[in-house]
Amino acid sequence: MSTVESRAPVGLDREETSRRNFLKTAAWTGAALSAMGIGGFGVAVRRAEAQGEYKSYWGLGDAAILQFAYQLELLEGTFYDEGVNAGLFKDAFLAQIAAIRDHEMAHADAIAKTLGQLGTEVPATPQFTFPNGSFGDAATFLKLAATFEPVGIGAYQGAAPALESKDILAAAISIHNAECQHRCAINILNLVNPPNDLAFEEALPLQKVQAAVKPFGITG
Amino acid sequence: MENHTINVPGAEEFARPRTRRDFFKILAVAGAGATAASMLVSGKASAQTNDVDIANFALSLEYLEADFYARALDAGVLSGDALGVVKNLADHESQHVSAITDLLNSAGATPVSKPTFIYPADAFSNQASILNLAATFEPVGVGAYLGAAPLISSPDILAAAGSIAGVEGEHVVAVNWLLGVVPYAGEAFPEAMTLDEVSAAVAPFLGGKMLSTGGPKLSQAEAYRLGHV
Repeated sequence: MSTVESRAPVGLDREETSRRNFLKTAAWTGAALSAMGIGGFGVAVRRAEAQGEYKSYWGLGDAAILQFAYQLELLEGTFYDEGVNAGLFKDAFLAQIAAIRDHEMAHADAIAKTLGQLGTEVPATPQFTFPNGSFGDAATFLKLAATFEPVGIGAYQGAAPALESKDILAAAISIHNAECQHRCAINILNLVNPPNDLAFEEALPLQKVQAAVKPFGITG
Repeated sequence: MENHTINVPGAEEFARPRTRRDFFKILAVAGAGATAASMLVSGKASAQTNDVDIANFALSLEYLEADFYARALDAGVLSGDALGVVKNLADHESQHVSAITDLLNSAGATPVSKPTFIYPADAFSNQASILNLAATFEPVGVGAYLGAAPLISSPDILAAAGSIAGVEGEHVVAVNWLLGVVPYAGEAFPEAMTLDEVSAAVAPFLGGKMLSTGGPKLSQAEAYRLGHV
């Protein structure tokens, strides 16, 4: 295993980040609506049934969920930043990898800002570790990228129904969508054709997400 | 609003809306959108938004997308990468229709029936026209789900909506790829749309009529919050 000096988000599109304040990503936010459930919708069916994963995030609280999400974003952002710096890509490939790097760092910045608004500590940047050779060639890098994205997707999708703040939910579901778009873009770079190969995105329970990211240095 | 570089080698030049905002402007010129939007927020503002309304609204959108892609395949003008992508698009949207119908049935609610859709005359005449229309549909699907998510009460419905919303986001990327838009995934924060924006976007495909659900209804408080009163 090689240890990579993790970077604070640098050289990113700060303007983009500040322009889009985290909480402003929600067009329909505002006061949390009174949760008036419809009788019968508690019955989970089909895909929803497979998505009781959110129960594993229940009770964590918004701040803890965001702290975890912040570290996930830093992990992804650092990974893509290393990929850009390794000089493995050019043209459309480079443009996409750099864009994903910028997105992940923008997500991390936005989450940090929200944690600040909540008066909650922003976690220290973990010392990330990647398998040897991760940045040695494009194919190895892209294969690893294809394993990262579903973890981010699964984490946000699993956590979303456990979020108490509707503002934070609106932002989280937007970030979730960006992660899904990344998954499809990485498919394109991996020459998966057609790249839109899923009818439903998969949620992951907290424990699976924790197990997936632990080898990379996230122990929270 | 982000602008993407559009490069469609060999494709005939279309007056393609470059951004979603442009798309709405074009629709507003067509006249149908504004009427639909005002119908949505006027009148029964006291009715309560609820999960059944939202699910039925989503079902109508999925019907539109499923119908569009089925017709696109039937037209027989697609080939190569585009054919593979659109086959999956048709399949996914059809699965979304089934999943939402099941959710509504299991809740004891009545799913809306499939509306009759109207398309521009040349919508299915060639691959480029299909892909350009797809590029306008998909961000509307994403925006609708992102906008609706915070209004959903049931965690199970929210989980299902998130699962489908992400797939619509992937569709945006796949269509970008076919159209030569780089980067394929270009948005750090995909944008939510308001109810009236979504209604305005789809009204032309309904002949200027509202979706048969009438769309999710806004409470006074929500209408205020969304800036309608």
